Amino acid sequence: MKLVNWTKVISISMALLLLLSGCANSASTKNSSAETNKEADAQPKQGGELTYALATSPDSLDPHRSGLAVAGRVFRTIFDNLVIQAEDGSIQPWLATEWTVSEDGKSYIFQLRADVKFHDGTPFNAEAVKFSFDRIIDPKTKSGNALSLLRPYVSSEVLEEYTIKINLATPSTAFLSNLSQNQLGIVSPTAVEKYGDQFGKNPVGTGPFKFVNWTENADIQVEKNSDYNWGPSNVENKGKPYLDKISFKIVPEEATRIGSVQSGQVLAAETVPPQNIASLKNDPKTQLLTVNTIGLPYTLFFNQRKEPWNNVKARQAVQLAIDVDSIVKTLYLGTYERSWSPLTPGIVGYDKSLEGSVKVDIDKANKILDELGYEKGSDGIRVKDGKQLTLNYVDGSPNREKRNDIAVIVQQQLKRIGIKVEINITKDVASVIYTNADYDLYGNSQVNSDPNALRAIYHTRTPEEEAVFKGLPGGSDTELDQLLEQGTSELDQAKREEIYKKAQQKIIKDAWIIPIYVFPYTVAASKTVNGITFDALGYPLFNDVSIE
Amino acid sequence: MTLVNKVLLKISTAFVSIIGSSILVFSIIYLLPGDPVLSMIDPSVATPEMVANLRKELGLNQPFYIQFSEYFMNVLQGDFGQSVVNSEPVLPKIVEHFPATLALTITSAVLSVVIGVTFGVLSAIYRNKWIDIIARIIGLFGISMPTFWSGILLILIFSVYLNWLPSIGSDGWKTLVLPSLSLGLVGAGFIIRMVRNSMLDVINEQFIVTLRAKGLSERVVMYRHALRNALIPAITIIGLNIGELLAGTVVIETVFSRQGIGRIVADAIMAKDLPVIQGVVFFSAIVYVVINLLVDLSYSFIDPRVRRAH
Repeated sequence: MKLVNWTKVISISMALLLLLSGCANSASTKNSSAETNKEADAQPKQGGELTYALATSPDSLDPHRSGLAVAGRVFRTIFDNLVIQAEDGSIQPWLATEWTVSEDGKSYIFQLRADVKFHDGTPFNAEAVKFSFDRIIDPKTKSGNALSLLRPYVSSEVLEEYTIKINLATPSTAFLSNLSQNQLGIVSPTAVEKYGDQFGKNPVGTGPFKFVNWTENADIQVEKNSDYNWGPSNVENKGKPYLDKISFKIVPEEATRIGSVQSGQVLAAETVPPQNIASLKNDPKTQLLTVNTIGLPYTLFFNQRKEPWNNVKARQAVQLAIDVDSIVKTLYLGTYERSWSPLTPGIVGYDKSLEGSVKVDIDKANKILDELGYEKGSDGIRVKDGKQLTLNYVDGSPNREKRNDIAVIVQQQLKRIGIKVEINITKDVASVIYTNADYDLYGNSQVNSDPNALRAIYHTRTPEEEAVFKGLPGGSDTELDQLLEQGTSELDQAKREEIYKKAQQKIIKDAWIIPIYVFPYTVAASKTVNGITFDALGYPLFNDVSIE
Repeated sequence: MTLVNKVLLKISTAFVSIIGSSILVFSIIYLLPGDPVLSMIDPSVATPEMVANLRKELGLNQPFYIQFSEYFMNVLQGDFGQSVVNSEPVLPKIVEHFPATLALTITSAVLSVVIGVTFGVLSAIYRNKWIDIIARIIGLFGISMPTFWSGILLILIFSVYLNWLPSIGSDGWKTLVLPSLSLGLVGAGFIIRMVRNSMLDVINEQFIVTLRAKGLSERVVMYRHALRNALIPAITIIGLNIGELLAGTVVIETVFSRQGIGRIVADAIMAKDLPVIQGVVFFSAIVYVVINLLVDLSYSFIDPRVRRAH
């Protein structure tokens, strides 16, 4: 009878399902002999499709509108910029071949490449650059990140077909490095006019890959731009890519994402969780690529609007009592680096001398709090004027990069010096932090290419600025303000680095913050994939990628 | 009450449920903590104009009843608004992705019935034999394992180690196997227990003894007579289960990186894209109400006792 056959088939396969987990290891070792891990041949292999699993979905592929790093990883392949920032922080030519800065630092003249065209055939020229930048400052575009990067841009003048003058409201030394960021990519004016609001679903640029198709929640496909011949200095292959196609798959669940690389269903996957890093290192078929992102590390900010955190002594006591090393080692199993400064390593002006400068000293921390008049009560919590010494530690939900767990460890550590930490995990960071400033300690990070990023965070804010959203430290220091202002306008590179070193030292000395970790961007890839590299900000580059 | 009256009554109750859920869905925007507009834009780049524009775009500067009646009238005309993230209209997006979710829901339901009934019956017939023990273990696993966990386990076994089936994607029947198995196992667990118990009850009833005494073969007794009677409670479970399956797609579509409306709503929640969340939740409520209406009505046709009870 049919039914009986069916039941046999099902029962056998169900029994297999239960038994197979036990045989799993023997199955995986069988394939290890297939490993071929030779050095890449002199001539990279042409053709093939790279499948690359992303952790989250891009919101839009319009560089001027998107605010997500994951979107940047995709549209970096589609759009080029005027300049590129090299690993040493220097600015190098890309779509612009050379440039001059006016004496007052308020205007730039760029010479553009004459041999470039957009994927839709539109010629690339000064008009296109002007169109792109004017588009960003047009409120109708609803630019967010791109707009803040382009500021203090005022206008562009087309001097010749391939010469453009850009005018700024005030001098900005961060301007060139901002121009290298992918949100300031140059878009095709004809395509923007054609697609309007839907340009983010139909992006057209001059990049090494052309947009093909975006099936929501399935994949985004880009194909080789065969005309490409203007690669920047941070890739070896300046011409057309070796790959025929890249297919970005969106795989939010991390176990599935890593499993898909191990099963060969995708060739590469981003954002490897710390617990998988060790096992992937031993996997003969998989390689692990890691690059530290640059900008502002994950940093805990004291809210200096609140008592007693407006007092440098109280902040220093906390600084001495938090054992950042043990937090980072416990939670990230040696896969994240500890940070020491308000800036990450690798950014211009990073002060290496701060490394190791803060040491845990519980006795000293206790002494400081004693001096401030906080006495330990019977429950071990310090009290002054009948009020317990509490610290309101706010963090957002979901638990991104285990940040909620950091709060729990800090709670335990500060107990040792008699501070009661109240952890408040909220879904509504926008109102708790940025509208009401209702926190004593809150952590955040930012990817950025220039130390000028410090100014937006640490400079004293005007009441008008505070009305829009509250600044994180909520403090004010004239000396620091001066340093940050000088940093924005100083044209001499060496002097500028000195200024930012002083600013970093001041921020740490006055215990404005507790820097915690530098976020590494990780990629797990099959060993058959060669040549994945990263730009200065940690975005993947596919110009040199080939598949064996 | 005549059958026609009863059907009409059920349909009108369903309509009331739909109106009720539309009110609930619409209120989401007010139930959220804090200002919905501020939570939707990145505060570090927000300007007062951007905030004001978005407030206007969402109609939040109007009184509640005007907002609601506008929303409801628009919904009646098939306009669920547009995404605040990429300005796409919501309904076409749902319509485009719903078939994938429907396919997953149906295969999961079918799998849970096939696995559940098969093992339920076998386990009752071979009570306390090895097959009964296996069936009960599967039942226990299905009920107690969260789908995201069983999903990951299935990927590990069938994709990573055996390399038989794809771990991600939503094109072709192969990509449906693991997700619907992991989603269907939950229902299967319940059905196994249900069918096993009711089979055991039925087997002990006197009419079975009579049938055996009449000399019918054991196979005919079990499959034609006992199983038929044991299936009625299983149908109840299947009806209730459709809602669970629909809700389960949110997790499963994310784990297996499939397309579908579950995935859309998960992404929209992450992006705080209110119009999309409202649209999908409301659409799912309608689907759920309609399916339950059908299941409700089908009882009357399948089980004569239910018909008589009314």
